[in-house]
Amino acid sequence: MVYHSSFVNEEGVTKACGCPLLPLKSHIKGPAPVYDNDGTDVVDEAITFFRANVFFRNFDIQSSADKLLIYLTFYINVALKKLEGCRTLAEGTKAIINLGLEEVPVPGESGFPFPGLFVLPKGQEEAELFRNYLKQIREETSGRLLSVAYRSNGTPNKWWLAFAKRKFMNIIAL
Amino acid sequence: MDPISRPAIVIDNGTGYTKMGFAGNVEPCFVQPTVVAVNDSFVNQPRSAVKNNNWLAQHSAGVMADLDFFIGDEGISRSRSSNAYNLSYPIKYGQVENWDAMERYWQQCIFNYLRCDPEDHYFLLTESPLTAPESREYTGEIMFETFNVPGLYIAVQPVLALAAGYTTSKCEMTGVVVDVGEGATHVVPVADGYVIGSSIRSIPLSGKDVTLFIQQLMRERGEHIPPEDSLDVARKVKESYCYTCSDIVKEYKKHDKEPAKYIKQWRGIKPKTGAPYTCDVGYERFLGPEIFFSPEIYSGELTSSLPEVIDKCIQSTPIDTRRALYKNIVLSGGSTMFKDFHRRLQRDVKKLVDARVLASDALGIGGIKAKPVEVNVVSHPIQRCAVWFGGSVLASTPEFFQACHTKAEYEEHGASICRTNPVFKGMYLYR
Repeated sequence: MVYHSSFVNEEGVTKACGCPLLPLKSHIKGPAPVYDNDGTDVVDEAITFFRANVFFRNFDIQSSADKLLIYLTFYINVALKKLEGCRTLAEGTKAIINLGLEEVPVPGESGFPFPGLFVLPKGQEEAELFRNYLKQIREETSGRLLSVAYRSNGTPNKWWLAFAKRKFMNIIAL
Repeated sequence: MDPISRPAIVIDNGTGYTKMGFAGNVEPCFVQPTVVAVNDSFVNQPRSAVKNNNWLAQHSAGVMADLDFFIGDEGISRSRSSNAYNLSYPIKYGQVENWDAMERYWQQCIFNYLRCDPEDHYFLLTESPLTAPESREYTGEIMFETFNVPGLYIAVQPVLALAAGYTTSKCEMTGVVVDVGEGATHVVPVADGYVIGSSIRSIPLSGKDVTLFIQQLMRERGEHIPPEDSLDVARKVKESYCYTCSDIVKEYKKHDKEPAKYIKQWRGIKPKTGAPYTCDVGYERFLGPEIFFSPEIYSGELTSSLPEVIDKCIQSTPIDTRRALYKNIVLSGGSTMFKDFHRRLQRDVKKLVDARVLASDALGIGGIKAKPVEVNVVSHPIQRCAVWFGGSVLASTPEFFQACHTKAEYEEHGASICRTNPVFKGMYLYR
């Protein structure tokens, strides 16, 4: 059984493309609201559940926050694939920065990995808002991922990088 | 020369291992892999292709050529050391596929391992549930014709597994046997000693799949294991280090917090060079047995977990047997030996049952609340050879000899008598 997000309460959270823009404990600029609690935010959840959820090919969605969780799990899979050849933290960071510079597609565009999962954006404004949110959350996830995927002395942590070979939801990460 | 005064021989042939021994013992004398290593070099040579001197060698070996085979661990080590021996696995998914190899296997068991005269002992063999009656006929034919046994009884494995749980005060002949072996997993409900055939469920996951999954995980992580050994190493890792966890994410956290406590080292020797190597064993310790509870992590086509299958199986049995079946879920087979397997299974089945009882109470028909269903998964230390032990218990009762098919009956009626084997109560008489 997959692990679901605990952010089921959607009161007062702005939505875009049918997905709540959940607050993040982030220093990066972007449309996400600031997370004032000291607990786990959705990025922490995604990283904690990744090693379990990556094995599954079917995911039953219990709340809209789960959609964000699915997207993040897929992104972590893509990022790990990029980190496969990098022997040091510096190389890995470079690879991740390159990944961040790529185009971030939103639902409706051809590069988006889960067609049909999110509601199509109603207008250009909503699409841009979602795109910026995705950019911010991807950067935040990459930062926290690098801290677990590499040990303190800079060498890769094989226990995490093994999951680069797994295919979440059977989608091949290019 | 009276066979009835000697202990019967109990042989439990499984896909992975065969357990053999004498009735009345607590554990089998031998547990050997079910594999035959045959020397093929003399068997398949056409006459015209053979040169003169080779023909002589073949002729002199000809008489002994078909005796030149080994079984079990010895067979495996012979096939490794010399190219002349080919391994053949006579039993696949619980069914005998290669009767020739099976006959040879039994030959070695009786004459080389147990070292007894088959004419002096009654035999108890086992078979998987849902085996075709023809296969029992072939077994009977081989036993009576080739080995000349005085009597034969072919028992169904789940009934023997239930008999293994007998104590002097309680002989529970009703229960669900969850037999997870190397080749096949069956969930078989048994009521009063009779198998409820229409409710038998099997899932395509077994010990072999756990081994393959562990091998896959270790390979993905890039552990340095010589490829020809990797399946073997995975199997040994499975048998030594695996355990069942209650929740995967919590286990990951435990591993992260205390890696020294949870990550084990495996030491091996490379077969080609003899150099030692070590590798780490980590997440596969709990991910291996997890495939029974979340089969999707291993293969995308399987979606029903073992607790769900057990629940569905019991729900398909006659309604008056269900409570008794939930109360006595018996585990058998090597792949149930993972630590805490029975606790996790009990917890998961109880969750499914409680949810259903709650839903029916919520319907509130007539204000009647259902009595809570007691779920009990029974496990005991002899689980691995539970079937063999049950056979040993049943074969040491005096009633056994009357329930067997004798040689006289075989000569009179033919092999078809072996198609049915009467259920007998066994220890009930001792109450």
